[in-house]
Amino acid sequence: MGTVEVVKVGGVISPFRARAIVVGRRMQDIGLQVFHNKTAMAGLIILIFFTVLAVAAPLIAPYGPLSAVPDVGPLTLPAPGHPFGTNQFGYDIYSQVIWGTQISLLVGVLAAAVASVIGTAVGLVSGFVGGWIDEVIMRFNDVVLSIPWLVLMIVIAARLNYLDLVGIILVIGLTGWSVTARVVRSQVLSLKERMFVERGRMIGSSNTHILLRHIFPNAFPLIFANTILTVAVSILSESVLAFLNLSVKSNVSWGRIIAEAYQHDALTIGMAEWLIVPGLCIVFLVFGFYLFGYALDEILNPRLRRR
Amino acid sequence: MAALLEVRDLTIEFTTKAGIVHAVEGASFDVERGEALGLAGESGCGKTTTALALMRLLPYNGRIVRGSISFAGRSLVPLEEASMRAIRWKEMSIVFQGAMNSLNPVQRVGRQIAEPIILHEDADSDVALKRAGDLLELVGISRNRLNDYPHEFSGGMRQRVMIAMALACDPKLVIADEPVTALDVMIQAQILDLLERLRRELDLAMILISHDLSVLADTCEQVTIMYAGKTMESGKTMDLFTDPKHPYTQGLVGAFPDIRGPRNMPEAIPGDVPSLISPPSGCVFHPRCKFAFDRCSNAEPELSELAPGRRAACFLYPEVTEVPGRSMPIATR
Amino acid sequence: MPGDPSLSIIPRDPKFRGLRDYMISFFGLDRPQWEQFVIYLQRLFTLDWGLSYQDHRPVADILLHDLGWTLLLVGTSTILTVLIGIAIGAYSAIRRGKPFDFVSTGIGIFLYGMPIFWLGLVLQSAFRKNSVFQGWIPWWPALPTSGYYDDRLIPWNWDILHVADAFLHLLLPALTLSLGTLAGISLVMRNSLIDVMTEDFVTTARAKGLSPRQVLRRHILPNGMPPMVSLIALDIAFILGGAYQVEVIFRYQGIGFRTIEAIGSLDYPLLQFIIVIGGAAVVIANLLADFLLLWLDPRIKIS
Repeated sequence: MGTVEVVKVGGVISPFRARAIVVGRRMQDIGLQVFHNKTAMAGLIILIFFTVLAVAAPLIAPYGPLSAVPDVGPLTLPAPGHPFGTNQFGYDIYSQVIWGTQISLLVGVLAAAVASVIGTAVGLVSGFVGGWIDEVIMRFNDVVLSIPWLVLMIVIAARLNYLDLVGIILVIGLTGWSVTARVVRSQVLSLKERMFVERGRMIGSSNTHILLRHIFPNAFPLIFANTILTVAVSILSESVLAFLNLSVKSNVSWGRIIAEAYQHDALTIGMAEWLIVPGLCIVFLVFGFYLFGYALDEILNPRLRRR
Repeated sequence: MAALLEVRDLTIEFTTKAGIVHAVEGASFDVERGEALGLAGESGCGKTTTALALMRLLPYNGRIVRGSISFAGRSLVPLEEASMRAIRWKEMSIVFQGAMNSLNPVQRVGRQIAEPIILHEDADSDVALKRAGDLLELVGISRNRLNDYPHEFSGGMRQRVMIAMALACDPKLVIADEPVTALDVMIQAQILDLLERLRRELDLAMILISHDLSVLADTCEQVTIMYAGKTMESGKTMDLFTDPKHPYTQGLVGAFPDIRGPRNMPEAIPGDVPSLISPPSGCVFHPRCKFAFDRCSNAEPELSELAPGRRAACFLYPEVTEVPGRSMPIATR
Repeated sequence: MPGDPSLSIIPRDPKFRGLRDYMISFFGLDRPQWEQFVIYLQRLFTLDWGLSYQDHRPVADILLHDLGWTLLLVGTSTILTVLIGIAIGAYSAIRRGKPFDFVSTGIGIFLYGMPIFWLGLVLQSAFRKNSVFQGWIPWWPALPTSGYYDDRLIPWNWDILHVADAFLHLLLPALTLSLGTLAGISLVMRNSLIDVMTEDFVTTARAKGLSPRQVLRRHILPNGMPPMVSLIALDIAFILGGAYQVEVIFRYQGIGFRTIEAIGSLDYPLLQFIIVIGGAAVVIANLLADFLLLWLDPRIKIS
């Protein structure tokens, strides 16, 4: 039980509650630092903006993602009522951009979650168990890292003959965990050295207990920061797949809007918004995740903080 | 004749996110030609900062706000950077703590020793490398090792390389900042002997910085004790050790076991070095001082002469005056 | 298996049935998939990489030709990126906290999050003939936006006309790829140099009386390079991904362009070999990086 036992002996609060308080206090502390960090706040504001856009899309967007604007033909120039014009099917591009936020966020967050869970599990086991298992896992990780992920994704997507939403999340998640695994492993290695793990072991805790109760909670903030950065990468991956026409057909995503704008030569026909706006959306959303993730990393990683 | 180095009222501040750090306040000391001065005090009390300021090498957020440094008749504080560069290493060199990190890990030691010779004496690299070899032999390392990299040397050997490098341009003054701290006791003694021998042979002036008074005891003629950026006491080494005036010095001397005397457990000074961002009012040492009385927290004692060559800043001695205009605590900025 | 490759070779028409059956057995498509894979692996080791379903030429021949162009693109842009990235990174490391650092880091993170294909599209529109900018600024240049040399010059020939034209066609793709990867390199360079700058030996170097420029060149940069080399090698998969996008946008007929074509026609021998080449590129890049590190950092020994 390690450090928690001491509190229990005091007879005031349960070990579970003691841990909850300790973790809670640390989270509070981190929250406060985030609040005072300009970079983190800038990122957070961008993220909140896009989250609101995604959640409130049905309220904000004048039209559905795949419904034609009444009385207006395909490829019409921007005008009141359809500020970015209409696409080749007569759909409102402005509405499509708003709806696209949902797919980008959904795919980005879920794919990053998949990658993080796998990466964390691999990193925890590899770093904690050590020995030849660590060696084998890390070599395998090197192989995964050396596969050109984009090509692999494209080939998988093509082999599965166009992916649905779950498919696209799995493809991005399954190819994106190796960096997380490395980060987590090195964190575990340094945590392992720390005194309290030794103490925990001396009292007779099992390995699983040490791993889940001592190492994981301490590595968690860093894993979280890393996940935020992985979301940014996943959003970019989704946009590439969508642009290459390998992503979800039935849903509108920014990458697809750009692809359609490209195919219909949006700039020549005077519809620059068609190409530019969804691109800027990707840039800003990714920018937001990067800002927030880097700032969080800096707050949580004392080595960086010293700089 | 004026001393080689005269430091007067040297005051250094760092600007940090948390506030202004008053790293050194009003440091004053002299170093005569061929003489060794010891700077002592706990970690974080401004010794290294003082050393860096002497060479005008403070980090980007640090600056000298007040005071003067006069070296070989020249005033260093207002000197422009280019002239300062000509003085560095040529006339004043420095040996840092932990020579592992003070040597460039990806450059051969020969080149590193030769570098200042080429720079300051316009020597070509063959001549400079030959000199570097001579210097290595001077500190007891074979010249065959000129082409080795720092990681191929042991800790003590690296410190010798560092010392050889410091002597490369025949400087007038060598600053040794914790030169033996990271080394084990046997090697410490060897390095200190080497420094002492070189100092006598080459007639060097030296500033030896250490948190360990025993390191200074055999080497230095004069010792200055610093605490939280302020000078607490200064005087001849023997006087200071046999009859420490300031309670802080007494604590430091007491913190070392006397191997010759009766076996008393060394007495630690309770408490920690205070924050330099908002230092305590009055005497900076009063929160840890067992003799502190009312005046200590209200007024700041000035470093005053108790006997010829002997100065202390403590109100226990009637000769000690108050720092004018600072009888009330400075408003925290 | 989705998509029957035989359909992409022979039309689904009864009169071609005989030919189709022949082709299926020729390419071994009638065997179980695992058997196909084992045969593929066997051939991989005997340097027989199969024939393309498309034009029945050996896969290796097709890809060797493409590889040359991809290497030209990736090579040019990597060299460009490393040089500029190191310069920007070094400069903002020295000016840490000053406006240049702030602006370059901001732009860096911004560019870092930019999809390369979109950046390519924007640059393409900006530098095409009769672009919007040409209306505004009379001297705004128009650059080739597609292919790797002018179609009218076919066939490829090593004369000055071809080389100059190939260079012109390389400009935009290389610029796109460089901008897309520049940010990562300059950001890491900056952080790595800031790390080095806090080391004691840098203070030693300054204490020696070296000028800031000398300190940077002789002491900081040589110590900041090894982490950069490892990083670029690790990033090579990312750079290749970028190159793929650029090739598609600019119809630059390297491996990436070929990949998209091969996907369209389900040309599996080609696709499989493309993945092998990609993996090999990463392995080779890492080997090169290891050799470079051995030379840059004397602390690393062959073990």
